[in-house]
Amino acid sequence: MVETLAPQAYFVTSVILIAIGLYCVVSKRNMIKTVIGIEMITIAVNMVFLSLGWMRTYPLGIVDPLAQAFVVISIVIGGAIAALALSLVVNAYRHYKTLDLKKLRRLRW
Amino acid sequence: MDSFLYVLGPTLVLSAFSALTPIVGYLEGRKKYKHLSGAFATLGFLIAFIIAIQMYVNLPADGFRAYLPGFSPPIGVEVIVDTLSMFMVLLFCGLGMLVSIYSIRYMDHDTGLDRYYTMLLLLVAGMAGVAVSGDLFTLFVFWELMSIASYSLVSFRKYRWEPIEAGFKYLVMSTVGSLIALLGIALLYGYAGTVNLSALSVAFSSSAVDPAYCYLVITLILVGFGVTASIVPFHTWLPDAHPAAPSSISAMLSGLVIKVAVYAISRTAFTVFAPSTFNYGLVLVVFAVVTATVANMQALLQRDVKRLLAFSSTANIGFIIFGLGVAAYSVHIWATVGSSSFLAAAVTGFMGALMHLLSHAIGKGLLFLAAGSFVTRAKTRNIYELEGVGRAMPWTGASFSIGLLSLAGAPPLAGFVSKLLLLMAGYSVGDLFMNVATSLMLLNSIFAVAYYLRLLQVCVIRPRGDKVKIVKEASPIMVLPLVLLMIALIIIGCYPWPFVEVARNATLNLLLAP
Repeated sequence: MVETLAPQAYFVTSVILIAIGLYCVVSKRNMIKTVIGIEMITIAVNMVFLSLGWMRTYPLGIVDPLAQAFVVISIVIGGAIAALALSLVVNAYRHYKTLDLKKLRRLRW
Repeated sequence: MDSFLYVLGPTLVLSAFSALTPIVGYLEGRKKYKHLSGAFATLGFLIAFIIAIQMYVNLPADGFRAYLPGFSPPIGVEVIVDTLSMFMVLLFCGLGMLVSIYSIRYMDHDTGLDRYYTMLLLLVAGMAGVAVSGDLFTLFVFWELMSIASYSLVSFRKYRWEPIEAGFKYLVMSTVGSLIALLGIALLYGYAGTVNLSALSVAFSSSAVDPAYCYLVITLILVGFGVTASIVPFHTWLPDAHPAAPSSISAMLSGLVIKVAVYAISRTAFTVFAPSTFNYGLVLVVFAVVTATVANMQALLQRDVKRLLAFSSTANIGFIIFGLGVAAYSVHIWATVGSSSFLAAAVTGFMGALMHLLSHAIGKGLLFLAAGSFVTRAKTRNIYELEGVGRAMPWTGASFSIGLLSLAGAPPLAGFVSKLLLLMAGYSVGDLFMNVATSLMLLNSIFAVAYYLRLLQVCVIRPRGDKVKIVKEASPIMVLPLVLLMIALIIIGCYPWPFVEVARNATLNLLLAP
């Protein structure tokens, strides 16, 4: 019983992770935590891919290699975005000496 | 089957030049050749443009198709070039080349120019890649290539606070958006087991599909790409990112990056979910009206010239989305009623969207470049301090006025043709909802004339203010792209038939695909 629900469990977990990541991006004041939120969404979406690939080939007991290929590329893209985001955080810290997004609101919204 | 490398030609040339630019930049530093990397990047754009023209001339009726050797579609990477892709690629390479020429002198006072040109080439390579992708994951990879390049270009002047802040905001919003779109792609994969566009369109045309699942996916993709397209609830990054970026990059962002998002929406929506089965045209039209109205209201309140132009970009995205919406809406009616006048309205709507995409890309590119020249000379972005700057810089001022008039929709310029097509399409559907929506768009386009004419009056017609007493004309290299863009606007306005013909072929390709 537990085994037959495995891909669904992964799917539900990743949807929850997306929700947590969105909450993190929207509500956290620390820039690094915002970046962590983005990374959580990236990982969760990758897991959606894997769980759906697993559901498709479930009787075989493997995850569809196509989904794995997508996820490998997606991880690389996520790494590039994280690197760029963190470099912006470093530059923001040099300007403001703080990571608090509330203190960064010099732009008119 | 055509060669993979040939079909991906413009993208590969641009990426190769992008990879070589740092070496050229090193030589530039060692040998003290000025402007070497700029000239090198312009050469890259020129070669890509020539390849694109050559591909367009040889384009067969059903387009070029190729896949990565080893894995055939629907599993492997597929690239497809049809008229719509070619239309976009030619626009990207052409405007990219002019921006690159402009940057040679505009970026004179900045350091790290090799990085700038590397990113600029990568940006256009990503866009051209998005336009030729035949499957959604390839599209996503090129999309992220473009996005990462544009984040770093927005925050290029990292010694000032504004680009850092605007760049971070843009990065967070746009990345979350593209991840939401990736979630939509994942759900498409979960249903059909492939992400190939033509295979997906077959899978989703069967009646066994749950409509709720499809509308969920459409929403995810519309919201995801809509963040970069700056559709209204998600547009807040745009008015900050455009003024903060160097003006050449604002021209690229406003002229091309948001158009790529529109392309991604239309390609995914119209190919995968046949508008005859799914009624998302209504949603697109409502989004379009809201986008145009809100952005026009806000544009009227701005005093910063680049911020005003940024809001006007959002308003014009409203017009383009409106064209797509009219097309989807009337194809849906056509499928139930069967009268061919609805099909004609759909074709006109999509054609109008493509023409507006073209005229807005050229016009807004021109306006941002001209505003960049004004701002470098007068050292201010406030409209009222730029009083009469057009008189001090006659060539730039003349092209600025033509650009403004074209966006305002004055005949005989490009903006008139495209707005006429859009409104004609909206009224020819003929039911109450479309009549109301089109009238609102008409009001919006009249409303927009108010701030374009105010900008024209203050910046060009008024006598010179104090700030611009000693301002001189920009250097010829900066004036040349402006004049070329101005001529393009006039040609498209006076003799639009060849362009309309290309747009029509692209439309028929997409709407009536088997």
